[in-house]
Amino acid sequence: MFHQTPARSFTLAVVLAALVAYATFGGFFAREIVIEIAILAILAISLDFVAGFGGMVSLFHGAVMGLSAYGYSVLTAKFGIHPIPAAFAGIFLAASFGAAVAAIASRTSGIFFIMATLAFGQMLYTIIFKSRWLGGDDGMGGIPRFDASWIGLDFNDSLQFAIFAVFGIAVCYGIAALLLRSAFGRTMCGIHGNEPRMRALGVSTWKHKTAAFAISSAIAGVAGVFAAQHTQYISPELLFWTVSGEVLIVVILGGLGTLVGPVLGAAIFVLLKHEVGNYTDHWHIVVGLLLIVTVMAGGRGIYGQAEHWITGRSRKARESLNA
Amino acid sequence: MQNWISTIAVAAVLSAAGASAALAETTVGLLLPKSGVFAALGAEIDDGFMFALEEAGRVDEFTIVREDTEVKPPVGLAKARKLVLQDKVDTIVGVVSSGVLGAMRDFVHQAEVPLIVANAGNDHATGKSCSPYIVRVSFSNSQINRPMGEWMYEQGIRKIYTLAPDYAAGHQMIDGFAETFTAAGGEIVGGEFTPFGQTNDFGPYLTTARATNPDGIFVFYAGGEAIRFVKQYGSFDIKADVPLYGSGFLTSPLYVGAEGDAAIGVKASLHYVPTLDTPENNAFVAAFKARFDRMPSEYAVQGYDSARLLLGAIDAGATDRASIAAALPKVAYTGPRGPLEIDPATNNVVQNIYIYDTVKDGDGLTQKVVGQVNGVRDAVNGCKL
Amino acid sequence: MSDAAFWILQLLNALQYSMLLFLLSIGLTVIFGLLHFMNLAHGALYMMGAYIGISITSATGSFWAAFFLAPLAVTAIGAVLYFTLIRRLRNAGPMNQVLVTFGLIFVFLDIVRLGWGDIALGLDAPTALQGTTKFLSVSYPTYRFFIIGLGLVVMATLMTIVSRTQIGAMIRASVENDDMAAAMGINVGRLFFAVFCVGCALAGLAGVVAAPVFSATTGMGISILIPTLIVVVIGGLGSLQGAVVGSLIVGSIETIGAAVLPGVASILIYVLLAVILVVRPAGLIPARV
Repeated sequence: MFHQTPARSFTLAVVLAALVAYATFGGFFAREIVIEIAILAILAISLDFVAGFGGMVSLFHGAVMGLSAYGYSVLTAKFGIHPIPAAFAGIFLAASFGAAVAAIASRTSGIFFIMATLAFGQMLYTIIFKSRWLGGDDGMGGIPRFDASWIGLDFNDSLQFAIFAVFGIAVCYGIAALLLRSAFGRTMCGIHGNEPRMRALGVSTWKHKTAAFAISSAIAGVAGVFAAQHTQYISPELLFWTVSGEVLIVVILGGLGTLVGPVLGAAIFVLLKHEVGNYTDHWHIVVGLLLIVTVMAGGRGIYGQAEHWITGRSRKARESLNA
Repeated sequence: MQNWISTIAVAAVLSAAGASAALAETTVGLLLPKSGVFAALGAEIDDGFMFALEEAGRVDEFTIVREDTEVKPPVGLAKARKLVLQDKVDTIVGVVSSGVLGAMRDFVHQAEVPLIVANAGNDHATGKSCSPYIVRVSFSNSQINRPMGEWMYEQGIRKIYTLAPDYAAGHQMIDGFAETFTAAGGEIVGGEFTPFGQTNDFGPYLTTARATNPDGIFVFYAGGEAIRFVKQYGSFDIKADVPLYGSGFLTSPLYVGAEGDAAIGVKASLHYVPTLDTPENNAFVAAFKARFDRMPSEYAVQGYDSARLLLGAIDAGATDRASIAAALPKVAYTGPRGPLEIDPATNNVVQNIYIYDTVKDGDGLTQKVVGQVNGVRDAVNGCKL
Repeated sequence: MSDAAFWILQLLNALQYSMLLFLLSIGLTVIFGLLHFMNLAHGALYMMGAYIGISITSATGSFWAAFFLAPLAVTAIGAVLYFTLIRRLRNAGPMNQVLVTFGLIFVFLDIVRLGWGDIALGLDAPTALQGTTKFLSVSYPTYRFFIIGLGLVVMATLMTIVSRTQIGAMIRASVENDDMAAAMGINVGRLFFAVFCVGCALAGLAGVVAAPVFSATTGMGISILIPTLIVVVIGGLGSLQGAVVGSLIVGSIETIGAAVLPGVASILIYVLLAVILVVRPAGLIPARV
């Protein structure tokens, strides 16, 4: 069950403020990093929505993000459609694909569900990779960013775009949190907890799972629109399963089922990769060891563990007061 | 290599601590893969680049900023932006994969920063998407293979089956070969593009290729796939019936050791072979071997020539981005690969292509040049500079 | 080449690839069935087998030394992992297992890069197995026959052990219900460790045996992971028969697909996976019903 606790709000505010500050004062490369973090964080929120609260872990969120990015890019760069409707179309495409896969795969669970999502994600990757019209592995360029001159902003400026991307995290987090607190979100958590019971209560679990994936995929689609606008060039690598694997790592690293943890995880993962990469070409080993240590230190992810300690201590404090 | 880099770094720090700090006049961004599938190529190009600066005794004139593309287009673009906007480099050198080049193209073009491409062979980069700021000193995919089509026809080969990985470079390599081979009168009796990066077993493809009874098989594979392909080809014992031809990356000196005897007799075309018997190359190979204790590969030479090109531009008086970009295409010299110039119409390199046979040499394998086509120049292909 | 010869060759290719997949997937599936542990680092152990095998061959000059020693070395690595990480993670939930074993993939990747370099390495088949052998009028590489034979021997041995021996009965009982098995006096902990070691040894064996055909690259551990997982999931987790059936299906689809429908070969396997999971959500032959 999801609670937007003060600790979570505080953590989110700190992370977002830190990202904005880093983008503003950290130089040009900091902005690239902040945008990279924002895209990964939005994708992580979308995955945590279904994996952390619905218990449905997927390995196709990268493909969903890529589908939206391709949808946006084809409409804007090939057909000259206005970026705003193109973005909605891309997000809708992602949501439809996610819902369709969930509907087909909802009979399976656990590792079988993961592998089913992997299968559909890889099919999509292969199709786009082989498509000459979409540029194959050469990718597509010439993708425009939103034109925000009507509110006096210029998204071709990397600082303004970075702050826009951080704003994107906040919006996606807000939507995910609101939905999780709604009756729909409570039902999803209920299905995760005990599916037969929810069915006995008259809930159509199949429809709920499908809807949950549609929402999650739409959020992943937002990440896709940001990704396409960030590089203004897209290639099929965006859809490859390792991207989905990386997001899953980020979610677990930050704290599965905490919603804010994955945002923190994304920031830590990207920063760590770049910082370690400055000193050695062998950043994999450092990140790998960190993943292992995180689990061995408690297994709730970085934010999850911190929350556990804090609530544990406050409970102890309460108990000692009562005594 | 790591030790060597730190030696250079120490040397650079020491010299900077001395009186020569002011010598670093040009800032170069070396944008190469340091992790991922092309890490070995990145290291070779880096070695070749630094070797040219050392040989000229001009390491001190350059500040070098290294960034890892991870062979991922978005990462490559982000790193290119960092090099240009934050490190304020005068020129970028590197880029191994065509995907990364595609992602960076618009940015370097708009930012008006010269980019010396040290590997990525995508035909379009010096064709329809060419730019006055992008100069390629390595090769284009079709450039390497066009001479092979004519040469093979002259050898009496008429029917060929082709194989390559199913991605842009694979298609361009095969198209380049097929264009001249069929124009000469040869016939492509069949061909397949194998799933890129996920083909472990080439057995099914080799079996299909043989069933078409060709005079030979022409393939493009590189890296781990090249080793796998050549070894599996060797294990089927079909060398006598269906000889193997290919793009020279197939039996590159970097991989031929791992391929072993299976590589013997494979004929391939490439823009550089370490056994070229020219005074320039003999001197280069001797010095490179003395320095690194191994033979230079074509990738090392690409890094070496990137530096030579840059030095040439600076010697011609270039000092900043605009003047370097203007001076680069005018540099021409005879280096390890032979005469080398940049085509002013496309900014792609004009160079000799060598056809070589892999032969046994004592315990190891070596390359024997059996054919040569001078001054191979790409068509303009829609490039407007 | 006649049509018959063409198909015999392609069937041999399919069988050869299936056997390599079997050697890899059997360890993964049995470890999951018994320990409920999803070891994503299994592919990394396969990679270690290949690289260690290449080093042993170049040090001793004998492929056969590598054939026997590399699996042992990989088992030793596996044993260290078992006592430091895996034993403690058995009850930590699948997400933590995914994170730790993914971390291990990263660690092994860089260990290989640091120890053996970035350039792919090859390994020569032993002299006795070089060249080709005639079979039903076709010539086929002797080494590939060796892989097929080895796979069949391992398959038969494991089937006999699981279905005919006391250890096999203990394993089957523990897969069914490990608490009950422990209550019946089976030392479940020791059994788990033994099975884990056998799984690691087979991954190492697959690595060293595959090296002369596939060569060794730093990406091999990650790229083999997906085909192996597909075999295990199609067959049904934790089941020996499932791994046999799964590897034959995947090996055949990939090979015959490459021969007949090369344009769609790369997508066929995922279509197959999706179809099987829709029709049989727990794989073809699940270990527990």
